[in-house]
Amino acid sequence: ATHITEPEKELRDFSEALDMWVSFQNKTQPLSLSLSSQLRLILTPSQSTKLSGSFRTGKRLNIKKIIPYIASSYKRDKIWMRRSIPSKRAYQILLCVDDSSSMGDNSSGPLALESLVMMARALTMLEVGQVGVLGFGEDVFVAHALTDPLFSSHDAGARVLQNFTFRQQGTDMCRLLRTTIDHFREARHIQTGGSGSEDLWQLALILSDGLVQSKDHARLRPLLREAMEQRVMVVFIVMDDANTQTGNHSVLELKEARFGADGMPVIHRYLDSFPFPYYLIVHHLEDLPGALAALLRTWFAEVNS
Amino acid sequence: MDQHLAPEQGAQVKVTFTTPETDIQLPESKRQLLVPADIRRYGLSRILNSESMLDTDGIPFDFLVDGSFLRTSLEDYLQANGLSLETNLTLQYVRSLIPPTYEASF
Ligand SMILES: [Mg+2]
Repeated sequence: ATHITEPEKELRDFSEALDMWVSFQNKTQPLSLSLSSQLRLILTPSQSTKLSGSFRTGKRLNIKKIIPYIASSYKRDKIWMRRSIPSKRAYQILLCVDDSSSMGDNSSGPLALESLVMMARALTMLEVGQVGVLGFGEDVFVAHALTDPLFSSHDAGARVLQNFTFRQQGTDMCRLLRTTIDHFREARHIQTGGSGSEDLWQLALILSDGLVQSKDHARLRPLLREAMEQRVMVVFIVMDDANTQTGNHSVLELKEARFGADGMPVIHRYLDSFPFPYYLIVHHLEDLPGALAALLRTWFAEVNS
Repeated sequence: MDQHLAPEQGAQVKVTFTTPETDIQLPESKRQLLVPADIRRYGLSRILNSESMLDTDGIPFDFLVDGSFLRTSLEDYLQANGLSLETNLTLQYVRSLIPPTYEASF
């Protein structure tokens, strides 16, 4: 079961949220277009030219199969590769936005909402599948379900933005991951009817200031492993609004102090124990399309190799 | 919990150090730090004096939060003021005028 709660939370005024959506959408339109066209190349493979597989007849010999072929007295004879036809891929993408109050202390909050609008619009233009939005802090809530229509109207977007007020008094990343994994498991079941025939890819993009209690870092590792085993890709996008005017420093520089068993303070770089294998640090919204595309390109190259 | 293992790490709070004293300023990049939430004045002094921070020799510091001297742990301060661990606390440090009685203030 999922642990999604629907607390009676205070919503942002609708007309204010609508103004925000419209202004963010207009401001980030070129970035949405750029992200959309970069993702199109990565997420929707066109004609595959790659040779793969093991067949009795084919186009080219699979060198790795030759030794076992000889060793098996020429019995294991599926030694040929063929040109594979790319399967149509479907995606379920969850945008998970940090609604905790640390986001509201600086401009990470507004940056995350602008990023949300930019990405939601890019994915809507791309039309590769379902897009949902989760909010998280102490609790996790659904701001836009995967089965809801894409973001083609301002109203739909505004209703999502209404949920984000950055007042949650905690950042429970473990709960977010738990909920995301469960949510995706259910969504996969619904989408494929349990057959698993369709090539369904699930992607969670977390938009946050990256401030997680360090003691949770170890608890997150098994959850990240579980996500990987369930073929859910998790990308952490750190909204790093380093700004000399607001006195906010980059999370890249942030250190943490602990006391050793001898009572001496030991100082480490905070990100050294950060458990997410795939993360991006975004200082400016303009960096996001290129950085996200590069990361996903690397990841797809890894899973396809 | 197995007590022989390293002590379980507790909650943290993010602080920003400032000081009006020009000779003990921290470089910009060291002013923000995550510290254990149960820390008090003595622990904070030790961190500031440590090699990776000011690299000073046991200067006793007092800490001002929102204009008043910190006399409790940070987490007790947060709780008393209705704040959560999400808060970034600004701590102003000054050389302590009172001779330190570390045991008492720890
Ligand atoms: Mg937070």
